[in-house]
Amino acid sequence: MNDLRMNNLALKDLRILDLTQVAVGPYTTFLLGFMGAEVIKVESTSRMDISRGQARPTPQGYRVYPDNDPGERPWNRAGHHIHRNPNKLSLTLDLSTERGKELLKKLATLCDVLIENFRASVMDRLGLGYEVLSQINPQLIYLKISSQGATGPEKDYGSLGSTLEQTAGLASVTGYEDRKPLMTNETYPDPVGGIFNVGVLLGTLRRRHKTGQGAFIDFSQREMTASMLGQEFLDFSFNARVAGPMGNRHPIFEPQGVYPCQGDDMWVAISVRSEEEWVGLCDAIGMPQLARNPRFETALARRRNRDEVERFLTNWTREQDHYDVMHTLQKNGVPAGAVLKGGEIINDPHLEERGFWDEVHHPEAGFYKQVTTPWEFSKSGRIQTTPAPNLGEHNEYVLSDLLGMTSQELYDLEEKGVIGTFPIGAE
Amino acid sequence: MTEQDGVLSDITVLDLSEGVSGPLCAKLLAGMGAEVIKVERPHVGDESRNAGPFPNDDPHPEASAAYLFLNMGKKGITLDIEADTGSSILRRLARDVDILIESHAPGVMESRALGYSDLEPINPGLVYTSITPFGQTGPYRDYKGGDLIIQAVGALMHPIGLPNKEPIKVGGSAALHSVGMSAFSGTMMALYVRDVEGYGQHVDVSAMQTVTVTQIHASIHHQFGRIPTRRESTLVEAADGWVNPGLEIGVQEDTWKKVCDLIGLPELADDQAFNTREARRTNQQDLLAIIGNWVASQPKEQIYHTLQGLRTIAGYVATVKDLRNSEQLQYREFFKTIDHPVAGKAVYPGVPFSIDNNPMTQSRAPLLGEHNLEIYRDRLGYSGEELGRLRSTGIV
Repeated sequence: MNDLRMNNLALKDLRILDLTQVAVGPYTTFLLGFMGAEVIKVESTSRMDISRGQARPTPQGYRVYPDNDPGERPWNRAGHHIHRNPNKLSLTLDLSTERGKELLKKLATLCDVLIENFRASVMDRLGLGYEVLSQINPQLIYLKISSQGATGPEKDYGSLGSTLEQTAGLASVTGYEDRKPLMTNETYPDPVGGIFNVGVLLGTLRRRHKTGQGAFIDFSQREMTASMLGQEFLDFSFNARVAGPMGNRHPIFEPQGVYPCQGDDMWVAISVRSEEEWVGLCDAIGMPQLARNPRFETALARRRNRDEVERFLTNWTREQDHYDVMHTLQKNGVPAGAVLKGGEIINDPHLEERGFWDEVHHPEAGFYKQVTTPWEFSKSGRIQTTPAPNLGEHNEYVLSDLLGMTSQELYDLEEKGVIGTFPIGAE
Repeated sequence: MTEQDGVLSDITVLDLSEGVSGPLCAKLLAGMGAEVIKVERPHVGDESRNAGPFPNDDPHPEASAAYLFLNMGKKGITLDIEADTGSSILRRLARDVDILIESHAPGVMESRALGYSDLEPINPGLVYTSITPFGQTGPYRDYKGGDLIIQAVGALMHPIGLPNKEPIKVGGSAALHSVGMSAFSGTMMALYVRDVEGYGQHVDVSAMQTVTVTQIHASIHHQFGRIPTRRESTLVEAADGWVNPGLEIGVQEDTWKKVCDLIGLPELADDQAFNTREARRTNQQDLLAIIGNWVASQPKEQIYHTLQGLRTIAGYVATVKDLRNSEQLQYREFFKTIDHPVAGKAVYPGVPFSIDNNPMTQSRAPLLGEHNLEIYRDRLGYSGEELGRLRSTGIV
């Protein structure tokens, strides 16, 4: 990874011990990797990150593989793994063995940050919790990401991002106007938590830079997700009102919704927030007279006559490409956005011009376009994506180069199953 | 000094942003101990002062829930930066702060000589964060958009919702919140660089880009040939709401048998249609129909605890009311009662993390111009007479 570093990477001197898996933690660490940190992802041959899928998946159990073909080493080709774990090195270490624990402790002395997102008690049970590791490395910053936080009666409950949408209230406000809640099926709290954690971590890193102090961060994904409902909680507190789903509507803006366009399952989102935008919309759809009609003059009036407004709009959007609708409306000052599919977003000209997508050649999965960062910095660069590592790909770098072990010692570790590059069950 | 001493207690922030994302970013900085000075338009204030909801549904610019939540812990001043006097006062203020947050359309700050290139020479260490729907560059830079629009263009919402219906957005203003969080992370990144390297910089936060990072499946699934589509809901109706049994991914192999015993259908334990995680996923709707009877007879939170006890990843659809009563959140003291001179006492959700087991600081949002005297007189040294003149000309 060294040769890929540019001179002014924000986190160039930082080394991260990454015990995270699935999504929330891996999002945090791939972002840190983009900013130049060296990220050592720790898995084991008996417990891979579940994003790698099964060692030998049955067709029923296929995750997402290029061309739906798991290939010879499916764990190195799984789409979820590849997309969430670029910019990392892979080390296998069986933490249920004494030798594995010992090596992890040694590594913790060489790292600035440790991040994990196991069930809350797991690291303590392994004897690798903050209490232990901070004795060995008092400057260590330990970021504990968990579903519920490190304390409380539900601290060891298991969740995926999808669970947290429900238990944190987000599903209760997501859904159509029939008020039935819906899940996003996008494990939304995972990537969002991943992004948020970067900021929290950097707060403690700047304190460490000034004072040399380590830190223990207790991050609750459920609380983060619930905190997105600030005004709904206040509405409950003020008015005892329990918020429910309201489709794509807005309590004030009118019209606001998603309208069909030309093509299969194509849509455009439109949101009119002011009278000025309403006039712009009427002009854009070729019905300037609507803007002078008192029946549609205010948001409230338009809500009363919603069916009519929706009919005008739909008749106009239906015959057009959703990108064209977006451009026409935006040029008239109306907020509008094509509801982009996965295949469209990777070719969007705006993101392309901003250099958002990296074209990656993954040695085991081929070419694909990788999501990068939510921000651009005027002076700090980011690396070009380094492909997600194969299982145990960097065992030698970490154990020999960093920890100074001999090749005989590595061989012995492999014999004992402490390290390896083939998951158990692959033979 | 606060409990978070050393994290951001030496940092001052100018918050010129409005709406959701920028104010949330500045609020998170305040929570970590920074002094945040929110700069609002005289008389009008942040647009979120009109957003509501309001106590007793009675609109009042000092009692809008959106404003009260997103601006906790800040000081408030008013300043008309469209006037030359106002923008030169802002330049004076910007000389001695560490961070500036703004959410104007690209070019607006530059037109008032308040862009990054205007402020960098007078404060080379300044971290200047701009938050816009589409970013500072690129063909859509002048386009507008709120929560719905950015969920659309970020490819987040297309697969959300039911088959044969329109795509549905994540509820509330979730995407705008995620953008505030990404702005917070980007700002902290630049602040860290400033501490280490000594220079400030411009942070360009794009809402579209943030949302595109949060779409976790659409782009990669598409490229690997498995197009995500809207599918039937997997929520099951309980006696008092909805649950997700969570019997597929992330479940121990021996859990299924225990679930079969629990619901009184032990014969299902060996049924090949359901006895693996993969089979349960394939036959998901059949499975949900079968356990539907058991689910329907019980309260949702009880189901959640029972199924979690069997090491599933079950969830219950908690409403804001349920969350206020959650034992877990109460144990963690997540909610805080905070008083406000106009809105009165209310229960606010707290901060989702602690550092060294110290919670973040939390205090109420400012009234419009509440700290004018403190900032203009005590910090900038304006006399009472000068301040009076600024007031009468509408600058402050």
